[in-house]
Amino acid sequence: MSIFWISLGQGLAVAAILALSSVAFTLEYAVSRVVNLAHGEVLTIGAFAAYVCETNLHQNIYVCALVATICGALAATGLNYFLIERFRNQKSLATLIATLGASLILQNLLLIIFGGASLSYGFSQGNLLHVGPFLWTTLTIEVMVSAVVVAILIYLLLQRTRLGKALRAVSQNRELSQVSGIPARGIVMQTWAVAGAVSGFAGFLYGETVGTISPTIGNGFLLLSITAAVGGGLGRPYATLGGAVVLGLVMSIAGTYISSAYQLVVAFGFLVVMLLVKPNGIFIRGSAQTVRA
Amino acid sequence: MLQYWTAILTEAAIFAVLALGIDMIWGWAGDFDLSAYAYFALGVYMTMVMTIGKPQAPVVYILGWHLPYPVAVILAVVVVVAFAAIIGAIALRSLREVYFSITTLGAVWAIYYAVENYTPLFNGYNGVYGLVDPLGGGLSYNAYHYLFLGFCLLVLLAAYVVVQHLSTSPFGRMVRAVRDDERAASVYGRNVFWAKYRTYLFGAGLAGLAGGLFAAYIGAFSPLDWKPTEIFVLYAAILVGGRGNPKGVVLGSFIVYVGFVEMTRYIPSPAARPELGPALRQILIGLLIVLMLKYRPSGLLPEKLGDDGTIRRRSWPERLLRSSGTASNEPELLQGSSKDEVAP
Amino acid sequence: MTSPLLAVKDVSKHFGGVAAVNGCSMSISEGSVVGLIGPNGAGKSSLIDLISGFERPDSGSVVFAGRELVGRRPDVISRMGLIRTFQTPREWRDLSVIDNVRVGRSALSRESIWRSLTSGARLRREEAAENQELFDLMAHYRLDGVRNVRASGLSGGQKRLLEFARIASAKPRLTILDEPMGGVNPVLGERIGEAIRELKRAGSTVVVVEHNLPFIEKTCDEVVVMDLGSVIAQGHFDELRNNTRVVDAYLGNDDE
Repeated sequence: MSIFWISLGQGLAVAAILALSSVAFTLEYAVSRVVNLAHGEVLTIGAFAAYVCETNLHQNIYVCALVATICGALAATGLNYFLIERFRNQKSLATLIATLGASLILQNLLLIIFGGASLSYGFSQGNLLHVGPFLWTTLTIEVMVSAVVVAILIYLLLQRTRLGKALRAVSQNRELSQVSGIPARGIVMQTWAVAGAVSGFAGFLYGETVGTISPTIGNGFLLLSITAAVGGGLGRPYATLGGAVVLGLVMSIAGTYISSAYQLVVAFGFLVVMLLVKPNGIFIRGSAQTVRA
Repeated sequence: MLQYWTAILTEAAIFAVLALGIDMIWGWAGDFDLSAYAYFALGVYMTMVMTIGKPQAPVVYILGWHLPYPVAVILAVVVVVAFAAIIGAIALRSLREVYFSITTLGAVWAIYYAVENYTPLFNGYNGVYGLVDPLGGGLSYNAYHYLFLGFCLLVLLAAYVVVQHLSTSPFGRMVRAVRDDERAASVYGRNVFWAKYRTYLFGAGLAGLAGGLFAAYIGAFSPLDWKPTEIFVLYAAILVGGRGNPKGVVLGSFIVYVGFVEMTRYIPSPAARPELGPALRQILIGLLIVLMLKYRPSGLLPEKLGDDGTIRRRSWPERLLRSSGTASNEPELLQGSSKDEVAP
Repeated sequence: MTSPLLAVKDVSKHFGGVAAVNGCSMSISEGSVVGLIGPNGAGKSSLIDLISGFERPDSGSVVFAGRELVGRRPDVISRMGLIRTFQTPREWRDLSVIDNVRVGRSALSRESIWRSLTSGARLRREEAAENQELFDLMAHYRLDGVRNVRASGLSGGQKRLLEFARIASAKPRLTILDEPMGGVNPVLGERIGEAIRELKRAGSTVVVVEHNLPFIEKTCDEVVVMDLGSVIAQGHFDELRNNTRVVDAYLGNDDE
């Protein structure tokens, strides 16, 4: 992860990827009230799917991106169907631990299949371009543009479609939604599919930006997504987006003073401070005596 | 062969002590702590640097005393509890469930990272080594190992008796009440933080004690030996044996630990792919955790109910088989839907 | 005139922009059973949270048995002798029914780790000595058949009775009941009314928040009426029937 955090310019691309990952995470929480500790693995699966697509199937970059997105959606839907929904009649801590178990299983499956070493994407980085003060490759620009496009799509989904409305209803009160005729389970599945698609795509973007992937990249993404979501406002997509921006800023600023290896520590410290000071998130009003998801 | 089993049982006994500590924090108080392995590691490190004497260059570590083994272990436990006091004070004040867990996870990462990179502490990546030898020299190799196994089993027995006693005492009952409903516990005069905190410190102390035992057993300890993800094996053991039941926890520790060691003998780990074995093991741990949570969350020996003193105790085979199907008397610990969770 | 057991003076609390409790004052005399009524949203539950320490008032004071409660933690307040319930019964679900009552007993000094380890046998004897008293108490609330059952296995009605058994064993000076009749059938309702009178006989002052006015009339010595976050009247039930403010706010709208 150390090459990952090199410059502010690349930092912006990374922040964009992080924003997508965090929003996906928060959508999963919004609709199922579950903190998905296997979230990082969905991203990793997308990243590896694109890798296989490129290295073994020799497809072009657009096909690989699509494959990553689809695999992410499948992974998340599978996780929801086989695990989350089966634990619906259990307390949230049990589901949490179960997702932890799933994370162990998925991460180590990837380790077995692909080995522990870092694997490289073969996509060309394109030309270097000066855009204002930043030095970006065309690839990096594409990454950021596609991140923005996906964010806009998510916005449209939430605000303009029936799925979006139903999602908000189910997220507030699942039983009530069902009684009102909303097929809650289907909505939940679709939302996870969307979250998974976004995550898978984010995984692909990560691979593109950094150039190498390994089975353990999910850990960092999980921590950062939780930090952004909790810091901004868990379960609220726009608040989470805000949280991701703030986190990205905090880490970039910290990155100019301390070595990149410590940046996860900075993120984590930010999370703990947020939990102790503003546990509901920067952008959410209200207080709680004890903080639980 | 006997040596092999001696080794496995010794390790299992040590991990059972650690599991007893973790179960107090999770089973009794309901806090899913992820930093216990750091407490364990600190216990190992501190015991070693207090007994193996001064470091020889290029090895470097703190202290480097030559204290008698029991004294070193006691001091190590004190150090561990001091760390737990700080971490617990931050994490338990107002954080619960996943937020508490994440905070403790950060603590264990921070400690792991500090130990691995700040060499003056415990020689960084290369770790510390040296014979601790608590039983005084002069024993043959085999005799030492048998005696040490006996010693560990004694310590485990002592720890078990203490923990079991505490579990069925008014304190143990009160901690579970706090776990089940914090608000109601407050209404009846219980200081929720203080209850969880005391439990946390006691559990951490047991982890440190297990570390002290492990120091004498293993003779060399480096960050390679204590990846924080090892804690999931212990949680699997607690889930299998019976969360909240000290007898079950010890049982589960032996079953899982011995079971896994035995199983990994049959799993191939080709030299070209050394990560295969451990990865497969982690997958099995993950599966075990998920399956236990889904199908038998209370474990083999469920948490005992305090009764009015008039019940006839069913014999353990009867209880194990759960034949009379009094499913309603099974602990809900992890069952009951999330919508039953009353808002705090 | 002796000072009241509980004196609430000008207590206010805002949530967001809304004043849940607004300059609320009332006084409760020792030994009485006081009903606290008012339309939905009047601030009754918020007031209870403020008194019992689960929320902190923005301004005002709450004095209980001569001591200020504002700023104290809920467990500190309950150790002073104040116990409250919540709108849904809250039991310790994975403890046995008898353990629920035992914990309610609040024998805090027994719960130290040191004492549990050093004088464990003596603690057990002390508890065993209390057994008969607890058995009688539980029989009184018709819970003797389920003493060893996990509390989660009780029916809703039994859970309500368990709450009363727990309160009775705690022997508080002041009990505040937040809608104890919620969703309760008339037979159980009778039993609860009886339980409240028993609490009074045992020496506890009781404040009951309820919507069921006949129940309030039958059980309470005095009634406090709240509306829009403050107390608009306090007195005997019959007096309040003729109080126009009360009638406007609440009684006038009641449909039996």
